[in-house]
Amino acid sequence: MAVAEFTLARAPASDRRNPVRYILSHVGRHVWLVVIALIGAFGNAALAAVVPIMIGRAFDLVLSGRADLPALAQLAAVIIVSQTVRGVLQLGRNFGAELIGQRLERDIRGELYVSLLGKSMTFHNLQPVGDTMARATNDVREINLMFNPGLNLVIGSGNFLLMPLLIAPSIHPVLLLTPFLFLIAYAFSLWHYLRELRPVTEAERSAFGRMNTRLAETIDGIEVVKGAATEREETAQFEGDARQFREAFVRRGRVEARFLPLLLLGLATGAAFLQSILLFNQGQIEVGDVVAYVGLISLFGFPTFVSLFAYSQVSLGMASAARILELINRQTELDQNVGGHAGPVRGKIEFRRVGFAHPGATTGLQDLSFRLEPGQTVAIVGQTGSGKTTLAKLVNRTYDVAAGQVLVDGIDVRRWDLASLRAQISMIEQDVFLFSRTISENIAFGRPGAVRAEIEAAAKAAQAHEFILAFQDGYDTMVGERGVTLSGGQRQRLALARAFLTDPRILILDDSTSSIDSATEDEIQQAIFRAAQGRTTLIITHRLSQIRWADQILVLRQGRLAAAGSHDELMRTAPAYRRIFERYGDEEG
Amino acid sequence: MSFFAGLDAESYDRTYRDADLARRMGRYFRPHLRKLIWAILAILVMSVAGAASPLLVAAAVERMTVGPLSPAMLSLAGLLFLMGILVWAANWLRRRLSAEAVGDVMLALRRDAFTASVGHDMSFFSAHASGRVVSRITSDTQEFAQVVVLVTDVVSQILEALIVVAALAVIEWRLTPWLLAFLPAIFFFSLGFRRIARRVTRRGFRAMANVNAIIKEAVTGIAVAKNFRQEGAIYDEFAAVNAQSYRINVERGFVLAAVFPTLNALAGLGTAILVYVGGMNVLQGLITYGAWYLFIQSLDYVWFPVLNVSAFWSQVQGGLSAAERVFALIDAEPAVVQTDHQSVPRLEGGIVFDRVSFRYTQEPVLENFSLEIRPREDVALVGHTGAGKSTIAKLISRFYEFQGGSIRIDGRDIRSLDLTAYRRQLGIVPQVPFLFSGTVVDNVRYARPEVSPVEVASLARRIGDGEWIETLPEGLETEVGERGARLSMGQRQLVSLLRVLVQRPAIFVLDEATANIDPFTEHQIQLALGLILEEATSILIAHRLSTVRAADRIIVLRQGAIIEEGNHRGLMQQGGHYAELYSTYFRHQSLEYIDRAPADWLGNAAEAKKTGKRP
Repeated sequence: MAVAEFTLARAPASDRRNPVRYILSHVGRHVWLVVIALIGAFGNAALAAVVPIMIGRAFDLVLSGRADLPALAQLAAVIIVSQTVRGVLQLGRNFGAELIGQRLERDIRGELYVSLLGKSMTFHNLQPVGDTMARATNDVREINLMFNPGLNLVIGSGNFLLMPLLIAPSIHPVLLLTPFLFLIAYAFSLWHYLRELRPVTEAERSAFGRMNTRLAETIDGIEVVKGAATEREETAQFEGDARQFREAFVRRGRVEARFLPLLLLGLATGAAFLQSILLFNQGQIEVGDVVAYVGLISLFGFPTFVSLFAYSQVSLGMASAARILELINRQTELDQNVGGHAGPVRGKIEFRRVGFAHPGATTGLQDLSFRLEPGQTVAIVGQTGSGKTTLAKLVNRTYDVAAGQVLVDGIDVRRWDLASLRAQISMIEQDVFLFSRTISENIAFGRPGAVRAEIEAAAKAAQAHEFILAFQDGYDTMVGERGVTLSGGQRQRLALARAFLTDPRILILDDSTSSIDSATEDEIQQAIFRAAQGRTTLIITHRLSQIRWADQILVLRQGRLAAAGSHDELMRTAPAYRRIFERYGDEEG
Repeated sequence: MSFFAGLDAESYDRTYRDADLARRMGRYFRPHLRKLIWAILAILVMSVAGAASPLLVAAAVERMTVGPLSPAMLSLAGLLFLMGILVWAANWLRRRLSAEAVGDVMLALRRDAFTASVGHDMSFFSAHASGRVVSRITSDTQEFAQVVVLVTDVVSQILEALIVVAALAVIEWRLTPWLLAFLPAIFFFSLGFRRIARRVTRRGFRAMANVNAIIKEAVTGIAVAKNFRQEGAIYDEFAAVNAQSYRINVERGFVLAAVFPTLNALAGLGTAILVYVGGMNVLQGLITYGAWYLFIQSLDYVWFPVLNVSAFWSQVQGGLSAAERVFALIDAEPAVVQTDHQSVPRLEGGIVFDRVSFRYTQEPVLENFSLEIRPREDVALVGHTGAGKSTIAKLISRFYEFQGGSIRIDGRDIRSLDLTAYRRQLGIVPQVPFLFSGTVVDNVRYARPEVSPVEVASLARRIGDGEWIETLPEGLETEVGERGARLSMGQRQLVSLLRVLVQRPAIFVLDEATANIDPFTEHQIQLALGLILEEATSILIAHRLSTVRAADRIIVLRQGAIIEEGNHRGLMQQGGHYAELYSTYFRHQSLEYIDRAPADWLGNAAEAKKTGKRP
């Protein structure tokens, strides 16, 4: 049983053993819609068959010589009424399937979301957001489309295949032969066609993908192309890609051109006609029967043409269901550890021979030990990929160590109650995420009850007050998708304000990818400096000034501690470190 | 939303006269004329064979009303088989040929569009989003080519319908008006429905774009919510949006679900009328059974073509405007024009700006701007945003066309040079270093494919003993990922400097990155820079203190004019604009700041407390 960090009491259970069971367990909640859709599908096909039968009757009626107009009108009326009823039933089928699809989209997306909320930070840090997004939007939508138009048309047209089989014997038993043979040949040729088409379509799609990706890259890097004067080489490259797509496109065209069910439909029409006129010549059936039977066979037209599209829609939907289920079922290693150690953190952090390796994580760590007293600041320095971020994330259990121990206040973080631990650790990531809410709501995100005065005080401490007031709506300014766009430095200061408000004992700050925003540089550095006062702070940084005032500096290289100590110690013991400052020293004066 | 992307107008768009557009399109199809003629013949065969089926059955029905069929009449069934095979075979030929023709036309269009695109100068690309250019080259060409398939589909359906109607008119003119009376009804009905469907769909799409944005935020925000243990709050927000999305989609789903049922009910009404009217005419002895049969069947044959025709026009229009967009891209006028293509021997690297005037749009950026850079000189350009620093670099790179004055390279007019040969002697590093997917070596050799990997490796080791190579997982064979995404900013910067180093350019143009880079990599970047500066005339748009100091001459720009020049120490002593720029942009990078800042802040805070003011 998977452990989750978040669960919803009222969520109904679904069967997650495999995609088919999963979909069925969801559909099971809408039995009435299924019944309506199925009745609609059968009724629609059955009533569609009424038309050729009535036309046949009309022929027989007129031929019989004792016809009168009222009798003919009666037949016409039957057609009108049956087709109106058919419309209602077809609407039931369409809308029933549509509702099932929409409800499943809603329910499954909700279930997926709850499951995502329940997953550990480890999961979310390893799982690319783009991929999760794709599953929460596109894949969930595919399941919807699998019902309508997918299954709606598969079942709808399936009933059309059935009707000639059911009705033909009532005209003459022998007439069962043509629809029967057609069905067998149809099923076989369609299976063959789909099997042939799949690799060709796949090849076309990937050829298009290659062409498009490379093209987008070239156009984005056009300055480099022009600077290097490689227009001719790029043109040759693109032409090669475009030609490959052309080949794949033509191959698909050739497979589609051979669509055998179309031939079968023509042959079935001919066979039905031959069979019925032979029976007529033998005096076994009437003219009206011939007309009705030929009309009945034309019902095969609908399944012949929609089959293609409908079947692939269903298989796409099942593939999506499998992807969603895979995400929901993926194990999450961390749990809340309710009942673990809880209490105020003082801020002492110790790493004891820590090792970490994760297949998806960027870098491993090896044999890492250091100790931070409450209130101290450590600057973590190193090249990208040296393990700085990973190290910081072990403190709030974003990841768990593979070897050794991380201790907060002398207690292994794995023995802390997760909620209690995280509530006292604030983490400001490289890419500060803001919700599409007002600035004050974003600052108060970690403390929903905070009053305006507290929020403003936090903003002032984070050097954010001034720029916030510069917006028209001040603290009520909306940010994000539907509001103002903030610069990296502004976002960072809002995150700092968040941290001031929650007043954590431990602050983890990733400052490594911020860009030089000279105009506000001084303010940001000041805000960070203030935030570090009075709490244990881990700061991942490239800024020499921050390295300079930290109590300790950890220099990481490929997951190992290359050097550690205070600035003065490193100047004495680490040549690479000294070189950096020497360079500045040379230029000084 | 991507659904509407590509429909946006661009400044280079133009309207072509229909005749011009047709001629232009014709030029692309002409090489495939034979295939097209065969495809058209196949369409004719398909239409005739398709229309023949009901005629054959009608003829048989006609005979059957008077008694059993003669053996000769049984061959009608054989003909019907033949028609079935003919329809399939003709369809096969048509699809095959049109796929080939369309594939080739698409290829030719894409090639032309691409060649034209890379031929445009940078003013084109800075004015037009690259995504839109890409979509014109891939999607619009496809849309245009697909219209051809669509046209042949609809034409064959219409042809078939016309043949049936014509046959009916010949056989029994009395019934034809009844049938024709239906056409406008179907046409307007489907037009109206399409309008409603389009409205709900557009509303649905807009709402869905909204919902997707919020879902995106809800998914992205999970990590933050978890950090602050706010899962419950964020879930409620998500649930509300999810429910809203459901409501909108159900509304749209209902309208779309009703289309075919309504059409079928209408078709039932039509059939009933035809059965009754036709039967009445037969009873009155006015028409034959065969005509009656054909009359009823004809409804099926006209129904779908008419439905399709109502959609046809907007689709064709879509294809034509796609063609128009592609042609506009091909025809966009380049701004940079060379007057001659003189060959370019190894350059010394002397650059002269002689009273140059330049503007991007209306506002002049440079006016009567003069500057002389000696061969091998290293010049740093500093100034606020918009002072004209990058403009100068871009004009030297010949990315933009200037309007007045002249630029001379080694004394020769920049406009008279062979552009490709000239640019091969430039080394340009843009502010955001750009790498192509492939290995580090591939990228280093991008401008000089003839350089061997061994040479690349030895050059790479000249930078700080090659320490930086060790930080790459596979060394120089590391895959950099799309746009270089798998490397850090600093590493990308190093690779693009190495690319220039391999080029051995006569002129080096650097727009320095503003990203913070770890001090170790930063140190190596400075080493690499040093290697290039030794060899080439360098124009540096400097953001780093160390780069400014490495220059022979600092040029201080304000509003497109040189207001100060000299070296760092001299300019600082002047205490002018440079000193001001220094305190905004470079002071934080100085050792003085690094050493003293916290003390200053604490001092400030203490002072602030004393005076009761905010720091």
